[in-house]
Amino acid sequence: MISAPWVCCNCLSRTGKTLFRRSLRYQSTATSGNVPKALLTRARDIAIEHKVLSEKLANGFDTRAAKKLGEYSPIVNALGKWDKASESVTELTSLIHDSTTDSELRSLAADDLEETRAQLAAASQSLITSLVPVHPFAHLPCLLEIRPGAGGSEAAIFAGDLFRMYLAFCNGNGFRTGILKYENINGTSEAGVPLSEAIIEVESDDAYGVFRCEAGVHRVQRVPATETKGRTHTSAASVHVLPSLQDNSSVQEDFDNPESDYYIDQKEVKVEVMRASGAGGQHVNKTESAVRLTHTPTNTVVAMQDSRSQHKNKEAAWALLRSRIAQSRREKREEEMANMRRSVIGVAKMGRGDKVRTYNWGQQRVTDHRSGITVHGLDDVMEGGQTLSKVMDSVRGWLMERDVEALIAEEAEKK
Amino acid sequence: MPRIGNSLLRKAHALDPFLPALLAPCRDIHAAQNELRWLRQHVDRVAKARRARGDTLAKGSLLRQLVSERASGKPLQYILGTEYFGDLEIRCRSGVLIPRQDTAASVTNLVRLLRDAQKLPPELRLLDLCTGTGCVPLLFRHELYTARDDVDLHILGVDVSPKALKLAHYNMQRAHRSMPRGKMRLIRADVVLNPFADQDGDALPLKVALNHSGLPPFWDILVSNPPYISPSNYWTTTTRSVRGYEPKLALVPPSIASQSDTEQGDLFYPRLLEIARDVEAKIVLLEVADLDQAQRVAQRAHNLSIFDGIEIWRERPDINTQAPAGVDNVSIIGEGNARSVLCWRGAGAAWLGKATASAGRDDALRLFRSYGHLPHGDASQAGTSPMEPQFDWPTTPPSEQDLPMAFHNARIARRSRDRFRERLSRRGTGLWTDHPYPEDYYFIRTSFGLQKRRRKP
Repeated sequence: MISAPWVCCNCLSRTGKTLFRRSLRYQSTATSGNVPKALLTRARDIAIEHKVLSEKLANGFDTRAAKKLGEYSPIVNALGKWDKASESVTELTSLIHDSTTDSELRSLAADDLEETRAQLAAASQSLITSLVPVHPFAHLPCLLEIRPGAGGSEAAIFAGDLFRMYLAFCNGNGFRTGILKYENINGTSEAGVPLSEAIIEVESDDAYGVFRCEAGVHRVQRVPATETKGRTHTSAASVHVLPSLQDNSSVQEDFDNPESDYYIDQKEVKVEVMRASGAGGQHVNKTESAVRLTHTPTNTVVAMQDSRSQHKNKEAAWALLRSRIAQSRREKREEEMANMRRSVIGVAKMGRGDKVRTYNWGQQRVTDHRSGITVHGLDDVMEGGQTLSKVMDSVRGWLMERDVEALIAEEAEKK
Repeated sequence: MPRIGNSLLRKAHALDPFLPALLAPCRDIHAAQNELRWLRQHVDRVAKARRARGDTLAKGSLLRQLVSERASGKPLQYILGTEYFGDLEIRCRSGVLIPRQDTAASVTNLVRLLRDAQKLPPELRLLDLCTGTGCVPLLFRHELYTARDDVDLHILGVDVSPKALKLAHYNMQRAHRSMPRGKMRLIRADVVLNPFADQDGDALPLKVALNHSGLPPFWDILVSNPPYISPSNYWTTTTRSVRGYEPKLALVPPSIASQSDTEQGDLFYPRLLEIARDVEAKIVLLEVADLDQAQRVAQRAHNLSIFDGIEIWRERPDINTQAPAGVDNVSIIGEGNARSVLCWRGAGAAWLGKATASAGRDDALRLFRSYGHLPHGDASQAGTSPMEPQFDWPTTPPSEQDLPMAFHNARIARRSRDRFRERLSRRGTGLWTDHPYPEDYYFIRTSFGLQKRRRKP
């Protein structure tokens, strides 16, 4: 009698599970042809606002409105294209499902439908991309800071590897770089010795947008050069990416430039001068020359009464108000930067656990744990070649998906 | 006026022994502190100047003297000798009205409107009646020249007081040194004097004075800060310091028999509006005391029916809170007490950026009518008054031949303008007073007309 061989139930269930699991990827979701409803309503709202703004601009120029209009116009264009594509898709499907259409027309429509569907997918993709807000610092140059994490001197060697990888990547992709700091574990800047800290400045514009996805803990799994018994070690190095904000003083000094810290909209300031109560004019002769300015959005009050000339007091008060507002803006920005630095990577997150990417020498693979991509050209990655670009692209795509999700959640919260 | 509390006086004394005395005119400890600081700065400046000359000065006694003067109510501007008027520092002397900040606000606002004008005449003429220290035309000039430089500004200041003219002359020279542009001149004339009445005073009526000085009879802008306080208001609303130290001549119009209190307060305005018509001013800005007076003046200007628009400006006309237009489409602009009345006609509307402008022909016709040469309104109604000259006036606008008088006037105007320009070009730039002080001359009536005589020193 043939009996079924004994199989462990755990093994049995695991085979089923692995089969089932491999086909699914939780981290990244492929984009389909339709745009989420929340995003679509947002796009429509923006289109309406765009219309209002352009009407307003036709009547008179306003710097803020013009800037907003410039931000909105790609969204409105993408929405227009998407509307067109979706309309033609619905038309074609109705044509196919309609029983009265003759067979020749139906086959033509079926041929056309596929192409139109592809157009719709492209249009929805571009609509989603345009809706995702660009990171406020994405256009800036950036600083890459590389430090060894857990894993002793092996981590320091790997940090050096990462340093060379990024330099090679920048050279290969036309980013201008400058090395702000390079320090090995001996405290000198001699190359070839394990790295203790390095800071690369990527001077090209838009660098922060490209390298933003690199921030985090990079894990390495290999047999270190220092290992004598051939065991595989797991170590980590951390990469910080920060936008480099340059103070271009010419913009800062210009009071009329809305980009400047010193810029104050005249409409937002309430000017009060001390007036005689009662008749005024020739009836009274007062010596009061005090001026008080109130900046309504920040509730900053400046009073000036030093000079006998009201005019001079007003000028002095404006200068003081400008510098106060600029100071508060600068502090706010610095706080934002400090928050960002803290959020990029906390001290507690320096271990091997919260890694963003793994470099495995044994299997010659690189896996990014955020987008879930795995590539096998480890050497090409370490030389900063095309494979690294591929990994970074996939992470940027993943970041954008997160942004889209956040956007949808935000829209849902609004309702 | 309420007494100043003992606690406040003690507090002031604790801060500075001079402060309690200054509380009397200032009423407020912060104001008193400011004034004391300015007085100290003044004393320091005087001491420094004396030291430069090799003199010495006891600072303490001078300061004590100045504080006691101020405590008795003497205006700080007379003590320090200057007052800031807008961006300018204007010299003040007793006997001449101290410039007020409210006036500066009106003038600045007028220039703010004018400097955005697309098309200003290359030669802009400004007539300032009752000029006092000369502050109004000087601020106008300063503000206009800092904003644009395509205009040649000609200023004429008129006042009846020799003291005021002397001070205005000093201020003009100072202003001209710091910004040598445009032309400035001062003449002595009496604004309210009827040009057809017998002349007994030593000041001439404005029209005669203009003729006599060889000045043009037509001016683009007329501004004035005339005396406008009625006798009863003088005793009730003005402060003690104003009554005690500032000239009554600059505050209260002269009294004429059989005239009510309000009429005396408004005495200057009918004359000023008539002058505005005679000099064909395109923009008129008159300072007034309050909203009631402003509305009376606006009504008068409206009755003259030569202006395209009339506005009442409050103390802060730059704040754009426009009240709905009231009677006769007079809108009230700004915040605070009503401070001035603005009227414009013809090209003035475009200069001010106002929408309502009438065609040149209508404007000339209206101006012509307001002299009483032509009947107002309908031709059928014109015949009702037997005193009015009778014209068979067609309902359609008249052709050029029908307006001989107007074109005769225009020709004379052109000729006199050309003469004026020629005079200017011959003199070159600069102040064109050829004698130091205008009041060094006087006029006598002789059998062959008026004669100008130099006063013996």
